[in-house]
Amino acid sequence: MKETQLLIKSIDNNNLWEKEIEIRRNEYLKVKGSIDTNLYFIKNGSLRIYVIDEYEEHTIRFGYQNNFIVSLDSFITERPSDFYIQAIKKTNIKIIPKKTFKNLINSNLELQNVWTKILEQLILQQLERERDILTSSPIERYKRVLKRSPQLFQEIPNKYIADYLRMTPETLSRIKKS
Amino acid sequence: MKLNTEELIAELIEQTRININKVEKFRELSESELNHKGNIEKWSVLECIEHLNLYGVFYNPEIRKSIEKSISKPSETFKSGIIGNYFVKTMLPKKKLNKMKTSKDKNPLGSSLNINVIDRFLSQQKEFLELIKKSKNVNLTKTKTAISISKLIEMRLGDTFRFIVAHNKRHITQAENVLKQPAGNKV
Repeated sequence: MKETQLLIKSIDNNNLWEKEIEIRRNEYLKVKGSIDTNLYFIKNGSLRIYVIDEYEEHTIRFGYQNNFIVSLDSFITERPSDFYIQAIKKTNIKIIPKKTFKNLINSNLELQNVWTKILEQLILQQLERERDILTSSPIERYKRVLKRSPQLFQEIPNKYIADYLRMTPETLSRIKKS
Repeated sequence: MKLNTEELIAELIEQTRININKVEKFRELSESELNHKGNIEKWSVLECIEHLNLYGVFYNPEIRKSIEKSISKPSETFKSGIIGNYFVKTMLPKKKLNKMKTSKDKNPLGSSLNINVIDRFLSQQKEFLELIKKSKNVNLTKTKTAISISKLIEMRLGDTFRFIVAHNKRHITQAENVLKQPAGNKV
C-alpha cells in the first residue's frame, strides 16, 4: 500500500522508531487488559489479533509483513483493551509510540492526509469484514475472503484462517478441495 | 506500602504477559528436555510449571469468588498489608535462587507429566488476566482472599495478585535454570 510506505519513509527519515523487537512464534505482543497505544510496524513475520469469549479464541485480524498492526481501541481511547496480539511465526517489529506518531502527523498536512486515507481504507475493510460475518454460507464466506486477500492463504496457517472464517479446520479443507 | 491501583494493574498484566511468553518458549522443547532434572530431588521444567498449576487451581476460583462476593468500590490507591507484602517479598527471586519449602499437596515431584501441563498453565494465565480485569470493579485493599497454606489468614486481593505473579516468575526462572544445567550436576 502506497500510503503505508509514505508513512514508513517519513518515520525512517525523522528517526522516530523507539525500538525494534523480535518475538517468537506464539509469544504475545499484547495481552488482554493492557493499555497499549503503540503503533507497530511488521518488518517481517505475521501476527494475529484475537479475543477470548467463554474460553474460546476468536481471531479478528491478521498482520502481515510491511504492514502496521495496532490495538486500535487502545490507540484511540488510551483505555485498556481486551485484544491479544500474538506472533504466528518469528516476527520483527518496529515500535513508534502514539505521541511521537501524532506529533509527526500533525506537523505535516500531507502526512495527515495519508493517515486519513489509511483510516478510511480500514473502515472499508471493517465493513467488508462485517459482511463476512453476516454471510451465513461458509463457502460464500470463504470466497469473499479469498477474493479480498489472497495473501492470507499464503501466509497464515489453516487453523487460524478457519477460525477467522468461523468454521472448523475440517470444513475449510473440504471447501478448499472442492 | 501504598501503590497506585491503575499502575499496579498495568504492572500485573505486563508481568503476566512476560510469564506467558517465557512458558510459550518451553512448548518448543522436546518432552525429554521438559522432563530433564539436575538431580532426582530437583524439579524438571514440567514439575516447576505443574507446581504453578496446583496453585492456580486453588487461587483462580478463590479470587473469582472473592470478587463476586465483594461489595466494595474501586479505589485509586492500593494499600499492601503486612502479611501480603511479606509473602510477596519472600517470592522475589534473588540473584541466586534461595531454596524454599513446598507443602506436600503442591509438590509435583514424581508425578507423570506431559506437554498438557504447559497448555493448562497458559489457559490458567488467560483466566488470571480475566480476573485482573474483573477486579477493577472492586477495592483491591478491602477485598480479601483465602491463602493456600492457612485457613486462618486472609490476604488483600491486590497482594494475592502480586504474590501469584511473583510466585509464577520465581518458578519460571527456576525452570529456565534447569535448562541451563548439565545432567547430574548438583547445585
